[in-house]
Amino acid sequence: MALQIINAGPPPEEIAEQVRTAIAATLPNATIEVRPQGPGHFEITVIDVAFEGLNRVKQQQLVYGAITELMAGPTPPVHAVDKLECRVP
Amino acid sequence: MALEEAVHQEITDTIQSNDVVLFMKGNRRSPQCGFSATVVGILDSMLQDYHTVDVLSAPQIRDGIKEFSSWPTIPQLYVKGEFIGGCDIIQEMMGSGELYESLGLEPVEVVQPNIEVSESAAGALTQAAAEHGGGGRELHLSVDATFQAHLSIAPRTAADVEAIVTGGGAGLVLLLDPMSAGRADGITIDVSDTPNGQAFKVDNPNAPRVQQMSVRDLDAAIKSGESMELLDIRTPEERAIAAIPGAVLLNETEAARIEGLPRDTRLVLHCHHGGRSQQAAEQFVSLGFTQVFNVVGGIDAWSQEIDPEVPRY
Repeated sequence: MALQIINAGPPPEEIAEQVRTAIAATLPNATIEVRPQGPGHFEITVIDVAFEGLNRVKQQQLVYGAITELMAGPTPPVHAVDKLECRVP
Repeated sequence: MALEEAVHQEITDTIQSNDVVLFMKGNRRSPQCGFSATVVGILDSMLQDYHTVDVLSAPQIRDGIKEFSSWPTIPQLYVKGEFIGGCDIIQEMMGSGELYESLGLEPVEVVQPNIEVSESAAGALTQAAAEHGGGGRELHLSVDATFQAHLSIAPRTAADVEAIVTGGGAGLVLLLDPMSAGRADGITIDVSDTPNGQAFKVDNPNAPRVQQMSVRDLDAAIKSGESMELLDIRTPEERAIAAIPGAVLLNETEAARIEGLPRDTRLVLHCHHGGRSQQAAEQFVSLGFTQVFNVVGGIDAWSQEIDPEVPRY
């Protein structure tokens, strides 16, 4: 039986950088932290004044909307966001 | 990657033509993932009817809804066209009581239900709480919309109601969410022996039960044109021998149609003598139907008392 190669994509740090870049494109003034957890799994913290007055769902939709492409398709670079924290500074 | 227009339109139509829509894996009766099952459990405890879309059987919706909502996970709840959230948010809103408001439900009047707990049940519950509780985790009792009771040990939330526990277990702390509390007054909890060992036995006097209907009352109801679904739960072979006019054979297609009806629809079930239809009626009660009748004596009584033209067999 052949060995299955799992997660033979770019290293987690590289994907984390893509996530940071994508979020920054939507929320240019945000402080963004992306922490790789396991393969394809990340924790994200975003701090931005743009979150002011938005409920938690709306805040998270802004972030998820920014990284849609990284989470789409059958084998996306970002498989799951284990924790997404959005805060106003 | 633009969301295809047709998919976009389909999602828009779905969330606009249904007040409450849950995009989930599987369906309400058999959720295919734990997160979907959790949300179904919460919605079942609050609503009789809501619409679900199984994304596993519609891959284009599965991808489409994620982009549509800017939300990467399933399940997703929409109420009156507005995105509410996924599993963790719904759980949180349930705990805080916000979900009632979002679903357009009357604020639940907080009632402290009286619950009688036997001494042996109290002993077992106290032991379970000691083993699995702690750290703010306490005994909970939930009663869903179909009046099924579930005991669990979970964190206390702000909306929880404390039951007034009587009997041998007086003093036990037992928590219920407000919706469950309204369905729980008068419950008794005991321990009974089953083939698989001891189990909790929860008896709820508020649970709807199968009501009995005589063939005379059925005849009168048919003649006065009362609205009901008259269901024949016998085999097609028996039905070929004799049938009550207006009764519909409960086959799989028919069962699926009935399951989609509002839960207060009046269902009247008959068989040959009333035994099988009683069992079928209990099934419908467990699905949440509140007006379920069993025809006493079945079609045999009908032949004898109402219409001798219907052959006996």
